Amino acid sequence: MTQLYGYVGKIARINLTDQTVSIIPTTKYVPKYIGGRSIANRIFWEEVGPGVKAFDPENKIIYMTGPTTGTGIPTGGRTVFTCISPNSYPEQYAWSGIGGDFGAEVKFAGFDGFIIEGKAAEPTYLFIEDGEIKFLSARNLWGKLVHATQSKLEEIHGKDVKSVVIGPAGENLVRNASVTTSNDNVAAKAGLGAVFGSKNLKAITVRGTGVVVPANIPKVLELRKKMSDPSMAPRPVVHETHHGIPGIEKPVPGGWKRAQVACSYGCNQHCMCLMLDMKSAFGEERVNHVEKCVSIVAFGFEEDVPYGGPGGPGGIFQTEQNHYPACKLLSREVDPPDPSDPYLELEITPGPGDILNFWKHDFDKGSVINDLCNEYGLDKWDVLIWLLPWLAMGKKEGVFDDIDFGMEIDVESEEFVKYLLDMIVYRKGYYGNLLAEGMARAIRTLGKEKFGDTIYHGRYSRQINKRLDLPISLESAWGHCVHWQGRGFEASIAKPAWVATNLHQMTSTRDTQTVQHHHDTFEHYLELKDDPCRSPLTAQAVIMGENKAELKDSLTSCDWQSPNLFWTDMEAQMFEAATGIPMTEEELNNAAERSRLLFRAIIIRNHGRTREMEVNAIFAIMQYPDPWGETVTWEEWNDLVDLYYEQRGWDKKTGWPTRETYEKYGLKDVADELEAIGKLPSSK
Amino acid sequence: MVEKQASRILGRHVVQSPPEVSFCAGCRACEIVCSLLHDGVVGPYYKRIFVDKGTRSMVSTVYSCQHCADHPCYLACPRKDQAMCLDENGIVYIQEEYCNGCKRCVKACVFDPPRINYVQSKDKSKRKAKKCDLCRNRPEGPACIEFCQVSCLSLSDQG
Ligand code: SF4
Ligand code: SF4
Ligand code: SF4
Repeated sequence: MTQLYGYVGKIARINLTDQTVSIIPTTKYVPKYIGGRSIANRIFWEEVGPGVKAFDPENKIIYMTGPTTGTGIPTGGRTVFTCISPNSYPEQYAWSGIGGDFGAEVKFAGFDGFIIEGKAAEPTYLFIEDGEIKFLSARNLWGKLVHATQSKLEEIHGKDVKSVVIGPAGENLVRNASVTTSNDNVAAKAGLGAVFGSKNLKAITVRGTGVVVPANIPKVLELRKKMSDPSMAPRPVVHETHHGIPGIEKPVPGGWKRAQVACSYGCNQHCMCLMLDMKSAFGEERVNHVEKCVSIVAFGFEEDVPYGGPGGPGGIFQTEQNHYPACKLLSREVDPPDPSDPYLELEITPGPGDILNFWKHDFDKGSVINDLCNEYGLDKWDVLIWLLPWLAMGKKEGVFDDIDFGMEIDVESEEFVKYLLDMIVYRKGYYGNLLAEGMARAIRTLGKEKFGDTIYHGRYSRQINKRLDLPISLESAWGHCVHWQGRGFEASIAKPAWVATNLHQMTSTRDTQTVQHHHDTFEHYLELKDDPCRSPLTAQAVIMGENKAELKDSLTSCDWQSPNLFWTDMEAQMFEAATGIPMTEEELNNAAERSRLLFRAIIIRNHGRTREMEVNAIFAIMQYPDPWGETVTWEEWNDLVDLYYEQRGWDKKTGWPTRETYEKYGLKDVADELEAIGKLPSSK
Repeated sequence: MVEKQASRILGRHVVQSPPEVSFCAGCRACEIVCSLLHDGVVGPYYKRIFVDKGTRSMVSTVYSCQHCADHPCYLACPRKDQAMCLDENGIVYIQEEYCNGCKRCVKACVFDPPRINYVQSKDKSKRKAKKCDLCRNRPEGPACIEFCQVSCLSLSDQG
């Protein structure tokens, strides 16, 4: 066999039902499907048909690394899982990315990825060592918290193994359960932990002693120094006196210690905040945990993030002079704005975020909440932006007056939060069971009109000095809560930005923002800002963002470093350095389109996705005002959807891609299959 | 063992800064560039520097060759001056074509964990020891230091 660069050559099909393993050569899929999510989409399209539910043995967990994983190209350590997500509403095919050292180790063990199918007869974990895959009993691991599971696996197999594990939430099929690896890195958005649990799969532990060979080592080294301009300067542990969202920090009695760490194998940035010596939920011993973005509100959620302006450092609309990857914001290494930027004054127009008054700042309680989520293996977004704000708002509006949780609802109380999450994770009683089904389902069971749509009267906009409506349930679409969507949390972006983020969300099956925060140039902003729904530039930027997201999860790369609007072939350079396969920006974009089309084809064939369905799914949340009191009209929104479909090459009536579009990206077989089931738009 | 280490005379070697100077980000770039520049691959057997990341603590400790002045690894090598060699600056390095993979240098390392890596292989001819040579052939100096994103590695003053 000729030397493979980047890839290691094998995908393992692992059947938990009959404990068999077979091997598929990676070259069956690459380079047409690049790696990561593109390969997963292709496999899922071929192997999982309509009707399969999240917890059926027929659901498959596909785990894929990318050609950059383990090569030393920054961000390549991130990898991706896909499956039918129990946490999407309704259940749909979704994906979830994860960092840590696991992906690189999988490649050192000789695999580019796995297809995990079936269901183990009893609690099981997979132990993978250099090409050999063993099915081992997880009876002694079942019930253990996330870190205890990881430690036990290291005790059994040695300190150098790398694992992904679930906690009790996954075991008990809590729909928003996550899968965790080292550095508290989680795949959390697709309810993957519960799919592991449904398959009786507690963990995957890997040791690999093989190698990954990048094609162009000087280029790898160049990318290390170039991507996101790493500071290469000392980063000591800092004693902080305050904590919170930058700009609205609150004092912490006695202070706390902050360090910064990388999320994944071989990255050149340190986006993650490692909080040292924090209060634990489970004992006296102090613990360290990682905070990335959302967990910051666990410590206090009285007001929303401040508004920065449409552009500026780290902003959505960027200029060549002032654009920073999000990793710089998270590691707090943003340089002062470059004054040579002609638009600087227009870009930075700061203002305070909405007053929300969900809960007061309490540093120890925040630490306990994050620890609970980390150890149970729960998606923090769902807990911090949906469950707890819902209880906070609903309590104030009196909607829970007749509900008895067995303890008084009080999100200010550490004891209550502990009681609540324990009740949910272990499915205790009627309400534990109900909330374990996830917020979207629980609220519908209780009655959405009262338990979802009741207006909270405690939101106050400081942009227009006015009380504004907010529903007590911060649901956006597909069973996920709001995320940079103009209302709720991270609402402090104006309409030209939030129509785009909502469009990203509309075509998805889960919260997309973790892998496709919206970006565009400031020059485009100036053109589109007055009527963003009627500007083709809005649709164009969303498509760019969606395609880059496919690439991030395929190469792999990450949302904090990509896209770089002013280095648009960065991903093509990464691919070429890893694989040695010549690749232009355009060719790589075509591969992204292909991956995106497969995703679209899966949700059309398997889940009946149509225009009507997705427009209805997203429209409701945009009827609540943004901090300036703005909403979107049905006409405006549909005009934007038209523009988007048109640019995508999808039929405007159905939202289905045309045959021509599938064929343009080499997916004739997909078009044929969809035509046979009547899911190809009729030709003009 | 600890006392034996404490009393050792060490040559110049790669050291990790204390956390109040710079906190290791746990990125493993040091391991990666080390193996890439020496062997053209990335893999756990090919690094000459070791990042030990606490799974629970998430704090990383970097272990490197201390370049002991009395170089027990060199003394233990049955093919010394061919496999294990000593250069004019006192740096012990390995010429791999002569290394027979006997692992005596690894065993002779007085530190725990040993600071010499070892390629295990069913194929005897592929078994090789891998040891930090301070990037002696690299004009820019130690690659791990150059590519550490938080400059938490440096050369010790000793030696
Ligand atoms: S830039 Fe940050 S989030 Fe992205 S891979 Fe690196 S450490 Fe992780
Ligand atoms: S100095 Fe060179 S050989 Fe030694 S650990 Fe660093 S990179 Fe490797
Ligand atoms: S390169 Fe630096 S920050 Fe990264 S693991 Fe090595 S010593 Fe730590």
